[in-house]
Amino acid sequence: MAASLVRFVRGGLGRSIHVVRNSCLLQQQARLQSSTTENRPTVRPSDAVTHNKLAAFGEYVAEIMPKYIQQVQVTCYNELELMIHPDGVIPVLTFLKDHTNAQFRNMIDLTAVDVPTRQNRFEIVYNFLSLRYNSRIRVKTYTDELTPVDSAVPVHKAANWYEREVWDMFGVFFANHPDLRRILTDYGFEGHPFRKDFPLSGYVEVRYDDEVKRMVAEPVELSQEFRKFDLNTPWEVFPAYREPKEAAPKLEAGDQAPEKK
Amino acid sequence: MKHAALITIPLQRPTTLNPTTGLVGLAVSHNPHERLRVLYTKILASLQTMPQDAAYRKYTEQLVSERYNHVKTEPNVEELEKKLNCGQIEEIIFQAECELALSRKMSQWKAWEPLIEEPPANQWKWPI
Amino acid sequence: MASTAAARTAAGAAKVVKPIFSRDLDEAKRRVRELYRAWYREIPHTVSIFQLDITNRQGRDKLREMFNQNKHVTDPRVIDMLVIKSKMELEETIKVWKQKTHVMRYFKETEEPRPTDFLSKFYQGHDP
Repeated sequence: MAASLVRFVRGGLGRSIHVVRNSCLLQQQARLQSSTTENRPTVRPSDAVTHNKLAAFGEYVAEIMPKYIQQVQVTCYNELELMIHPDGVIPVLTFLKDHTNAQFRNMIDLTAVDVPTRQNRFEIVYNFLSLRYNSRIRVKTYTDELTPVDSAVPVHKAANWYEREVWDMFGVFFANHPDLRRILTDYGFEGHPFRKDFPLSGYVEVRYDDEVKRMVAEPVELSQEFRKFDLNTPWEVFPAYREPKEAAPKLEAGDQAPEKK
Repeated sequence: MKHAALITIPLQRPTTLNPTTGLVGLAVSHNPHERLRVLYTKILASLQTMPQDAAYRKYTEQLVSERYNHVKTEPNVEELEKKLNCGQIEEIIFQAECELALSRKMSQWKAWEPLIEEPPANQWKWPI
Repeated sequence: MASTAAARTAAGAAKVVKPIFSRDLDEAKRRVRELYRAWYREIPHTVSIFQLDITNRQGRDKLREMFNQNKHVTDPRVIDMLVIKSKMELEETIKVWKQKTHVMRYFKETEEPRPTDFLSKFYQGHDP
């Protein structure tokens, strides 16, 4: 199966699950089919068995907990992702941990993603491992700066420090956390460094002051602004989401050609 | 360790003398059939409180009654472990305990109800 | 940071938001008063434990100034968030996780006022 990403989106009243493929994927499909000759580039072979297995499990979970699960998808690298409502953190995590067919008992990671353009700018991402079935799952939910998310500590003890880290770096408040305080930043530090609106140079600079005989923090003062960096890497970051390069605008007959430097 | 014991005295070893499960924090069960019977009955009773068409009830009833049948028909512990194919008998007991706790919580949460809130538009759109 | 979310919640006023702790403004104000009292009582201990070169009076003036900085905030959720952060700072101060430098950071002793007119900017050597 060449389609690398299949989404199950809940449709209206019925429990029926639609399969949606967006346009860029179709492009990729076409690209894959067109280059089936021997000299095709090294691409990851699609593993249809794993893919279908994960998709089936995703459907199973979505059918059991329709109250909380908004969307299920299997990515092109065969990772199962559950998108859940923030109220469903405890139920879904408990289900995945305690259900005999899931047994995701190990919390591998908990982190957040900041996308400032969204209405709920923070995505909270949970990664789990099931040792029994040798399988991994990712659970995602969302929140904004002021909405508390239920802490996962009652379910997974490992979440304690991860949530402190997310609180420190992003400023997401976790309700019912036993010990929520800073973990990485210095005492007296203000702001949340992993937010996109936190400046690259920070707000304060720290130095030793001879007069008062201690470290002092002062507002940052750059003698030169940070230069503009070209952030377009030469490597592809999202090969699955390749978009066509924009063709150079065609010149009409009377137009002047842009000056060459 | 259990596996070391298996190698030295294969198959004649009575399961009641099984010294350890080899897993930290998991004690040997001396009466696994009785324990599993109690747990599975409780799970099934707890599932009765859910509506008939709840997917969780449907799947779990199927799963538990299948295991329960094996427990009822197979007196030998090692054969039972092989039939259930989900680890040692103590691990299966642990799974049943978890499932029981979960089924009680599930009827509290009513997770079979329709979605509480649709995500905001473009919440799950990536790349943005 | 908080103001953008506050603006958004104000725009969709009909939407019910999840409270952090306080359900209305009065409750939030009560929390702020409790916090103020706790800080106020802690100041003499802080001054003696950290051996600060300030008087209690100066510390309390600074406390009042810091609270007054946020007196325009009216959203109970924003107030709650500020209270939470301040409570964490208070804990760090009480348990002496902070050092002298962190406590004295509030007073900004070494900061020089930014030059405003052309000539003093010129004397300082660079234009920040």
